[in-house]
Amino acid sequence: MRVTNMIPDMQYAMQQSQQAVAAALKQLSTGLRVNKPSDDPAASAQMVTSLANSANVDQYTSNVNSLLSQMQAADSGISSIVTSLSSAATIGVSGANGTTNSADRQAMAAQVSSVLASVVAQANTSHQGVYVFGGTATTSPPFVQASTTYNSTQGTVLIPLTATQPLTAGSVTTVSDATTGKTFTFTVLPGQTISALSTAIAGAAASGILSAGTTATINVNGQLSIGTNSGTAGIAVSTNDPVLGPMNAASGTQVANAYAYVGNSAVNQVQVGDSFSVPVGVPGDLMFTSGPNVIGSLTNLIAALQTGTSAQIGAASNAVSSGLNYVSQQRIPLDNTISQLNSQDTFLSQETLTLTSQQSTLVGVNIANAATNLSQAELENNATMAAAAKVLPQTLLDYLK
Amino acid sequence: MSLSTSLTIAVRSLSAATGALQIANNNIANANTPGYVRQLATLQEAEPFNDGTMSAGNGVVLTGYQSARDELLQTLIQQQTQAQSGTNAQLSSLQQIEPLFTTSTQDIGTQMSALFSSISSLSTNPASSPARQAVLVAGNNLATAFNRASNSLTSLQVGLNSQVTQDVSLINTLTEQIAALNPQIAQLKASGQDSGTLQNQQDQLVLTLSALTGVGVTKADNGITLTTGSGTPLVVGSQSFSLQTKLGSDGMQHVLDQNGTDITTTLSSGDLGGTVQMRDQTIPGLLSQLDTLASQFGTAFNAVQTTGFDQKGAAGQNFFIMQAAIAGSAASIRMAIADPTLIAASSDGSAGSNGNLANLSAIQAKPLPSGNTPGDSYANLVFNVGSLTANATATSGAVAASLLQLKNQLNSVSGVSIDEESTNLITYQQAYEAAARVVSTIQSLYQVTMSMGTAAAA
Repeated sequence: MRVTNMIPDMQYAMQQSQQAVAAALKQLSTGLRVNKPSDDPAASAQMVTSLANSANVDQYTSNVNSLLSQMQAADSGISSIVTSLSSAATIGVSGANGTTNSADRQAMAAQVSSVLASVVAQANTSHQGVYVFGGTATTSPPFVQASTTYNSTQGTVLIPLTATQPLTAGSVTTVSDATTGKTFTFTVLPGQTISALSTAIAGAAASGILSAGTTATINVNGQLSIGTNSGTAGIAVSTNDPVLGPMNAASGTQVANAYAYVGNSAVNQVQVGDSFSVPVGVPGDLMFTSGPNVIGSLTNLIAALQTGTSAQIGAASNAVSSGLNYVSQQRIPLDNTISQLNSQDTFLSQETLTLTSQQSTLVGVNIANAATNLSQAELENNATMAAAAKVLPQTLLDYLK
Repeated sequence: MSLSTSLTIAVRSLSAATGALQIANNNIANANTPGYVRQLATLQEAEPFNDGTMSAGNGVVLTGYQSARDELLQTLIQQQTQAQSGTNAQLSSLQQIEPLFTTSTQDIGTQMSALFSSISSLSTNPASSPARQAVLVAGNNLATAFNRASNSLTSLQVGLNSQVTQDVSLINTLTEQIAALNPQIAQLKASGQDSGTLQNQQDQLVLTLSALTGVGVTKADNGITLTTGSGTPLVVGSQSFSLQTKLGSDGMQHVLDQNGTDITTTLSSGDLGGTVQMRDQTIPGLLSQLDTLASQFGTAFNAVQTTGFDQKGAAGQNFFIMQAAIAGSAASIRMAIADPTLIAASSDGSAGSNGNLANLSAIQAKPLPSGNTPGDSYANLVFNVGSLTANATATSGAVAASLLQLKNQLNSVSGVSIDEESTNLITYQQAYEAAARVVSTIQSLYQVTMSMGTAAAA
């Protein structure tokens, strides 16, 4: 073959070897074999999935940590409640002793009353703004001081609410009873009136969900008034029906030592693994009112110590003891969840390692190989340059003098 | 036989050597001229001397010169040049597209997984205002990532569109020049002369044209005939047929032949072919995948959001504003809500419920109507971009190597070797010197002959 000009070949060879140096340098400096999708389309596509998995695992880990602190707050709340209940039961037992005089019992009642206040305070524990015993109603304290009567804000003497007035379909009115520990929820169906609400509340009172005698009537001021009609039974009422407006406790009708649960029974589930969710917290009604009415039993013990007989005090303090057992039992699922979260935390850190190693296999570069590649590419580049420098300037004219 | 015959031979020899030197000189001068084909002096023995009794050699004549042309190799180079320009046009666009789909802090995949992370984080404290705000920010970032990718692809398409107009106007200039050379070359050929210089010019123009579009080349007596890939004539004899561009209903420039027929889809190689391929096939394909993903993801997200309740207990509203048509979804997707309390986290209406967040998280693992999960759909897109670019890179490298090979082969035939021309210079220099010596020898012989008479007289 007749060779006329070696410059194009040399340029091509230098270009190729410089590209090889640049590629090897990029791999070594970034530590990555795949820097853009075209370096390895299949690995790049797998990386998309793998990185999404990593992001999920990181988030699960962060969820586990924030749940752990929330659940530990709940757990320590329950722990102090158990201690408080235990001291109340002890007081009750000594109060039931026939030899205790009335003055002592009044003092004991005051002691139990402060125990009750501390139990309610613990039941209203909040962790970073979340009321942990409120079910999914986490934005306000789940236990509120109960009153005998709640009145609507709508309705006046001049323009009174009437029994035949229609309510807003879909709106919800709840009545939480401190004595029964239960909550009655009324969801308005299309066409239902105030009278339907009154009937439903009377029915709930008859079936024992609400204290006997609880009614909903239009009062002299033209407002809807929901009340227990008893000085000792307290309730808390709320509604989102604009026909009634917010329900407020009538002033002076607060019942001492009575607390109603205004949270709900729902439990949030939080995902801490691809197919693993844990329940967050324990709703207050499950913990304190749906079994033995724990808060109510303290209220009863105070009343019994104030006015009751030894037998009544004994019965009331037994009720506190069984409440104590119940709360202790409810603590077990919570503790189980905490230990599940701890083991999930370990699993997730293992998972992070697995994913990291998968990613480094997909797109990473073996540093030793990359360094070898670079020095080899440099060597080849030098050789090409040296050859070019030697060959290109050569011409016959140099020899023709 | 006479001294004057020898002198004639010597003069012919001087003239042939001068001519050959001129050719070597021209070769050296054009050693680096693109498209130059080296010329060889054609030396021939002169008509023999015949005085009736004997026949003798009568020296040398320079009958002309011959260009060392190889038309087959030239054709192959034109074809490879078409392939190379076509691939490079696609590669340069793809290299601009690639960063959009490379894992970074801003790509769609990362933003999508950030949105799901923010939702999962909110589920641990559904009433938390900062956590709700984080979901809105992540949603907005995802929408922006979709917008950015779509806008970049579209503006690339607009750039390619103006490239089509430029290419067509360059093609028209070139075909005019090529057609103008045809009759000149034909005339030289008819007179039996080497049309070297003009032919070189024309070949170089055809090569430049090949870089722009795929052309079919046929050689005939009246010069070369050029046709487009679809057979539409571009140059016939002295006539050139210009292509036109016309704005189509799709907003793109279409290429029409001289009859007004739309030949856009038949353009396959050269810069124009590669540009049209990118503009009309590759980019619309990627945009369509992107739009489908944006549309299906946004719709799925909205569907879940509207089954839940916001922080105030009201039914959830759409999270993203989606247009009805799929095409253009990636460009138009944006946030429908700006108030963090409007995120429908709750499944039962209570402010602290996170039931609907679990449904939102589940979108990540559920197949969209396309049959793939959102992450897999995006991964497919990344794979497509990667494999298109990798293929174009490989093709470009292979074509460059083969083109280098062909050019070397052509240079082997047609290229100027300075060393070779230097030896030619020496050869003809010596021939000239020898012939000159013959002249001076004959001159001295004449003097001897002249002085013979003088000596006798003396």
